[in-house]
Amino acid sequence: MKASPVGSGPMSIDVLAPLSAGASGLAFFESDLCVKCNICTAACPVAGVTELFPGPKAVGPQAARFRLPTRPEPDPRVAWCSGCGVCSRVCPHDVPVAEMNVIAKSELPSRGVRALRDSILARPPEVARWLRPIRLLGRPAFRSPLLRAAAQRVVGIARRAPFPVVAPTPLRRLRRDRIRSRPPAQPLPARHVAYFHGCSTNDYEPWLGRTAIEILERFGVEVSLPPQRCCGLPLLSNADFAAARRRARSNLESLQPWAERGIPIVGTSTSCTLALKHEYRAVLGLSGSAIDQVAHATQDFFEYMEHLLAADGPHPAFGPVPLRLLYHAPCQLRSHRIGTPAVRVLRRIPGLQLELSLAECCGVAGTYGLKREFYDVAVRVGADLMRQARASGVDGILTDSETCRWWTETHAGLSSRHPLEVLAMSLGLPDRRPRSGEGT
Amino acid sequence: MTRSVIVVGAGLTGLYASILAARRGAQVLLVAQGRGGLALSHGCIDVWHDGDVRFSFRNLDPAHPLAGLGMAVFQAALTEFLDIVQEAGLPYAGGLDRPMRLPRALGTIRTTAAAPVTLAAGSLDDKTPIHMADLRGFRDFSANLAAGRLRTQGVPIGGVVELPLAEVGARDAYAHELAGAFDDPGYRAEVCSTWKPLLRGVRRLGLPAVLGTSDPTQVVADLEAGLGVDIFEIPTLPPSLPGLRLERALRHRASSIGVDVVEGPSVRGEIDGRSAGRRVSGVVAATAGGPRAFRADTVLLATGGPAHAGWMSFANGEVQDSVFGLPVDAPDDREAWTSPDPFESQPYARFGLRLDSRRHPCDRRGRPYFENLFAAGGLLAGADRTLEGSRQVIDLATAFAAVEAMLR
Repeated sequence: MKASPVGSGPMSIDVLAPLSAGASGLAFFESDLCVKCNICTAACPVAGVTELFPGPKAVGPQAARFRLPTRPEPDPRVAWCSGCGVCSRVCPHDVPVAEMNVIAKSELPSRGVRALRDSILARPPEVARWLRPIRLLGRPAFRSPLLRAAAQRVVGIARRAPFPVVAPTPLRRLRRDRIRSRPPAQPLPARHVAYFHGCSTNDYEPWLGRTAIEILERFGVEVSLPPQRCCGLPLLSNADFAAARRRARSNLESLQPWAERGIPIVGTSTSCTLALKHEYRAVLGLSGSAIDQVAHATQDFFEYMEHLLAADGPHPAFGPVPLRLLYHAPCQLRSHRIGTPAVRVLRRIPGLQLELSLAECCGVAGTYGLKREFYDVAVRVGADLMRQARASGVDGILTDSETCRWWTETHAGLSSRHPLEVLAMSLGLPDRRPRSGEGT
Repeated sequence: MTRSVIVVGAGLTGLYASILAARRGAQVLLVAQGRGGLALSHGCIDVWHDGDVRFSFRNLDPAHPLAGLGMAVFQAALTEFLDIVQEAGLPYAGGLDRPMRLPRALGTIRTTAAAPVTLAAGSLDDKTPIHMADLRGFRDFSANLAAGRLRTQGVPIGGVVELPLAEVGARDAYAHELAGAFDDPGYRAEVCSTWKPLLRGVRRLGLPAVLGTSDPTQVVADLEAGLGVDIFEIPTLPPSLPGLRLERALRHRASSIGVDVVEGPSVRGEIDGRSAGRRVSGVVAATAGGPRAFRADTVLLATGGPAHAGWMSFANGEVQDSVFGLPVDAPDDREAWTSPDPFESQPYARFGLRLDSRRHPCDRRGRPYFENLFAAGGLLAGADRTLEGSRQVIDLATAFAAVEAMLR
């Protein structure tokens, strides 16, 4: 046998042709696959800090064995599940533990003021619409200890939880030039993406969307803003599956033509892209060619950046960014099961020192930590991350999800940015973030 | 030029191999469906059930995965492991030449080559009488059971004590929850003041392994200082802290030296279409959005044995490795897979992939399937790891040999 040459070359990642529905193995639930090894219980960040939650296995696959499909009687303690998804990711047997628990949570009875609060937290774009006309009152209101104490008492919104302020002009108005209701007629530009900005970027952080577009344009990518509504994830985590399904169907209808044409749907919010890739099928139970095509076409911003960088150049040069930053992969990004593409890209920036978070979750898990009854648990879940951030003496935190950014900034006392903001610095693009107190 | 390596599997073999490859300058991607079996382990590095490494290794069957590696490889693999855990802040004690005898939770005795220092402190070579402690409210350990059975084997037992715990409340506590409580120095101080009066006359105390999530050495040092007794830990049922600590320490170490960890997806092997079937190009992962290919110069399979789905048996009679579908030799008659006596060696335990001298999976005639595919750990044929007590030495030594071979 001849000596086997070991080839050399960079690691690369490719998107392949889609498999049929449910190919991810998560389209239906199999509690019998659970061997009760407790790896999920040991990894669960919530069970580790409160006795009130017996762990994902106990309320999930174990309890599911005693539920009738027609009469679900979830263990009420499932309410403590934050929905971070660590349990599904660490399961060696591919049991969709977190998905089972999100569904079980939606079956818990909810009434009165808490139900009202949950339905408000579940609707960030509507809230932005109500608040935009009175936005100048927003910041003082959110900072007023008196009003926050009242909001905690009356509607159960934790008084120390961070909230963003509505931006004066949404992204879709700022970049009206990029709005396209359907993909352009042939021929397509060589590189073209449909940007799923999500409601948070549109209404609260439009500068982030502007920066994302500018980075893509720097790489010669044509960016379109397709019609889109909120992905529905906040509705789903707040148990309104019917409304979440309506949003999902509407998004699938507007995104499918792009996916069908092979145009990547790129998102900068890891939770929105996860909804398109995973939750629509695995939690809302949608199936068919539209969702399969859209799920397959959807990519995290940095997942797409990796493809750009792997393609033949020349690429824009990465300038030095002399900072030491702590990167925390949001739990929703980890549920994409693609590792940490932002780290793989940012490692190319000269001078940038990246420290990696050792924590499973920052604590907030979407809207969980904003609720009065869960706030203390969320703070304890995130304690490891905040300790690491403070002890490591870094200049700031990087994390891809907006709720993680707002939460870590408040609780670690360090500035928290999207990793694409650092990429923009490296490429010499202007900083679009408004000075504190200003709008965009 | 930097070589790129994909390691499939995040048990002891995969985590250790990833770190070795990264230490040698490779660009490493570690991909695993869930967290590996290490989280269920006792955390010790066993080499052979009787500890007689030199004799046993000289007399290995030629089909055994350790055959032909030699003492120098075992020594180098263990030394580098000890170095890595030291760097990761989880120091181990031991070595190939000094097998340790440690008490187990069921009162039997483990012979092992290396153990976390908080477990190694329980070495039965020390003849100081041992007191075993029950922690009230923690049901995964029985001091009476452990002490009683150790006594019948001639281990000097001083007695059994029951110690209260402040954190235990309404429901049964898991080991890792108690460990979380011990992470807090304030809790340790409180424990010392409660326990001290209950430990008069105790010189050496065996506790279930719940003393801290990541830094048991510090927890034990604080308790020893506060209580004035020598303390050691005994691993309990899964989730067992010594295994969880080692899993975490290696995973964190891997990411901090640049290993890209992709947790969650199952993978299938991908063959390089331009190589006339001679090379693999990487793996295709079942990510949330659909199949995504990860490509690299070499792939190392560290997917484990049948209990970890490293190889699988299908309804049509095929027995194959679960990533590339390489054939695994197994009799057609399923009755011949197991022995009637559950405590005897099980034939299926020896099923797995065969390697050539360059650590490539190969067919019966010794021809490698692919030039750039390697395998290590529980996936390899020829060993009954449970009966031999050779699980960890196989993981470390075959991972070491594979990494050396693929970066040569």
